[in-house]
Amino acid sequence: MKLRYLAALAAGLAIVGAAVMMIRTGPRAASTIVVGLSADVATFEPANISSRDNMNIAHHIFASLFTLDMDGQHRPNLARELAISEDGLAYTYTLREGLTCHDGEALTAEDVAYTFARIANPANKFTGNAPGFVFSSIGFRSAEALDPQRVRITIAQKHPIAFGLLTEISIHCKDSYERMSPDQAATSPIGSGPYRLASWSRGAEVVLEKAGESAVAFDRIVWRIIPEASTRAAELMAGNVDIIANVAPDQVAAINQSGVAAVQSVTSTRRMFIGFNQAEQFGKTPGGRAIRDPRVRRALQYAVDVPTICRQLLQVECQRATGLVNAVNANKALSPYPFEPATAERLLDEAGWPRVDGKMRFALTLQAGRGRYLNDVNVVQAIGQYLRDAGVDVTVELLDWASVFQPLLRTRTAGPLFFMGTGGGLWSPIYDMNDLARVDSGTNYPNWSDPRWFSRWDALTDAATPDDTRRIVDEMLQVFYDDGPWLHLYFQPDFYGVSSRVEWKARPDERIYAFDARPKG
Amino acid sequence: MGILVARRLLQSVVVILGVTLISFIALHAGGDPTYLFVSERATTEEIALVRQALGFDRPLHVQYLSFVADLARGDFGTSLSYRQPALDIVLAAFPATIELAVFAFAIAIVVAIPLGVVAALNRGTAVDGSITMLGLLGQSIPNFWMGIMLILFFGLNLRWFPISGHVPFLVPLLNGDLATALGNLPRTLYFLVMPGVAVATYSLARNTRLVRSSMLEVLGQDYVRTARAKGLSEQVVVVHHALRNAWLPVVTMIGLEFGFLLGGVVVTETVFSYPGIGRLLFNAINQRDIPVVQAGVILLAGNFILLNTAVDLVYARLDPRVSLTRGRR
Repeated sequence: MKLRYLAALAAGLAIVGAAVMMIRTGPRAASTIVVGLSADVATFEPANISSRDNMNIAHHIFASLFTLDMDGQHRPNLARELAISEDGLAYTYTLREGLTCHDGEALTAEDVAYTFARIANPANKFTGNAPGFVFSSIGFRSAEALDPQRVRITIAQKHPIAFGLLTEISIHCKDSYERMSPDQAATSPIGSGPYRLASWSRGAEVVLEKAGESAVAFDRIVWRIIPEASTRAAELMAGNVDIIANVAPDQVAAINQSGVAAVQSVTSTRRMFIGFNQAEQFGKTPGGRAIRDPRVRRALQYAVDVPTICRQLLQVECQRATGLVNAVNANKALSPYPFEPATAERLLDEAGWPRVDGKMRFALTLQAGRGRYLNDVNVVQAIGQYLRDAGVDVTVELLDWASVFQPLLRTRTAGPLFFMGTGGGLWSPIYDMNDLARVDSGTNYPNWSDPRWFSRWDALTDAATPDDTRRIVDEMLQVFYDDGPWLHLYFQPDFYGVSSRVEWKARPDERIYAFDARPKG
Repeated sequence: MGILVARRLLQSVVVILGVTLISFIALHAGGDPTYLFVSERATTEEIALVRQALGFDRPLHVQYLSFVADLARGDFGTSLSYRQPALDIVLAAFPATIELAVFAFAIAIVVAIPLGVVAALNRGTAVDGSITMLGLLGQSIPNFWMGIMLILFFGLNLRWFPISGHVPFLVPLLNGDLATALGNLPRTLYFLVMPGVAVATYSLARNTRLVRSSMLEVLGQDYVRTARAKGLSEQVVVVHHALRNAWLPVVTMIGLEFGFLLGGVVVTETVFSYPGIGRLLFNAINQRDIPVVQAGVILLAGNFILLNTAVDLVYARLDPRVSLTRGRR
């Protein structure tokens, strides 16, 4: 009887095993590259895209007039040249010959002008990065096709980085988009880039296929949405995925030892800092009053050991930032603040904030969103402890990013100390400085108002030569270094897992361009 | 039965209004959702324009009443993230979750009943001890940990099962494409094995213990002793007399459990990158995509009510002493 059951069990297992062997998929085609992302795609309507992950995929479908290479240099793309008027208000682009849209129509200046006008049309109620940041920053006024190859973009006032910002606009095609409903535009893009959308399974994957005669190494790109970091790593090590983003530091060793993939670490352009919020509401407390004093802010720079935080908590060696611009564009005369607890204590004493009864000097709350940045919880706890060691009674508040911390940031009421990272670029120091372009800028989260910084923006806009621009930038960065509203930390390291079957190099600007990848061998 | 169904329908309207109100308040308690839909460099004026475009500039009660009025017309609103009808998005994710829930449910029932019966019939022996211990273990293991372990062992080391993903069966079936559905079925099941086991482990363990205790209670009853005294075979006694009565608490539990499985597999869906409703709602809550959350909550609440009603009907069928209109006689 028992033998009969065992035999039946063995037969059952054999059948299941055979079925599994039959179902198992073989190796995927060599012409396909698979990329694992952590976040889902929300839309393919280019004017509504505001997240980096979403934009990364969209950039494969929609080309731009110029493009940004890995080193932060702008290169011609759909346009072959650009002429800027003497007053700096008109940008005339000349398109390359023979461009086509994915619908087969020729891509002309009329399509480019239509793209800009469509984004700017308030009736469309677009809320993405293009209308919400680029157009408002440059003061977009109009776009007109001068002839089939030339298009002129006009802005309201001269802007030192308008050219760079205009490269962020994804060009789409008039004939198709005029016929589309908003639903169709969000799900069935007609682009101008090297790939077209083949399929989109929400929450699962996006499949792109090569468009026309595009000079790309892979015919298909599969973007798989894999939110869990350990699952992404497992898929990479199992050989099912070729590139993964946001590798957790504790998985780096396992991937490197797998023999099938390796981790690339790159210092990103995202600037991590502790903001000193000087809003009125915080000035009512001793701590809030203290951090309004530049001497106190300077003292606290010496209290935090940033290289050790990088080494111990982020698993990388890093150099501390000297300001809000990326290292390549920084003021070369500035050195990172060293970790000197004694100096911090002395400067705080001198600033009029001695330890009371040998204990704490004043109290502050340090707020941070949870799970947004690399190992953020531990980093914030460590910084809180460094500041406590200097005599500041810091209470760390870890908040839900989306529902609690982000609204505080956007209303500029986070803090009075807050931890955050803000995306930057390599192509211009002014792009990084643009966070604090005006006292009322939405990104002036610390409510800083130093006239030595803000009064120089007009001069920066009107600078006649690159040398003049550099001089003014350096002056401003010196002010920011001495008395700025940030406790300088580091540029966030990014970790990408890359299969040994592809050649691909991680970029510092968080862009994942699979069209840069090549099969090995 | 008609009265019960009518009463449940009436209750469901109240319940659904309640859950929409609670989720609406909860989603707005965290502050203005507008900030999630603007560039991080947007100015105050641009934020105000977006707020107006999204309708968040209106008083909260106006927003809620407007939502309820639209709901009465069958309009669940438009997703703030996807800019598509919220109900369509939720319904698109629902079949994948049903597949996972049914698969896990099947494991949890098909395996639990024989294990529970065997444990009860072998009370106090090593077999009973082993099953009880495994049941305890199954209830103690967090399902996300179970999922990760399955991925590492069966997915990565042995390469027996896919680590993540999903092959649809119900979607082509609902679209009338029977050939594709049947063609997909083996791979659908193959992709369901690991997430299904991860989801089912807890339920399997609990059901096993429930069947065991229920069987032990029934096996001690006079009518079982009488059945044995009549000379009936042990198989007939167990299956026809004991198991049928041991079913009652199990049916109640598993009916509710299916409702939980439909909405409560968020972690497993995330670990296995499974594109179901749990993960969709989790993302929607993080994104404060209120229309999607509301549509999902209403759908899940409706399902729960439906399942509860079905459990009551089955219960009455199994136990003639139960009256559908007046409770237990």
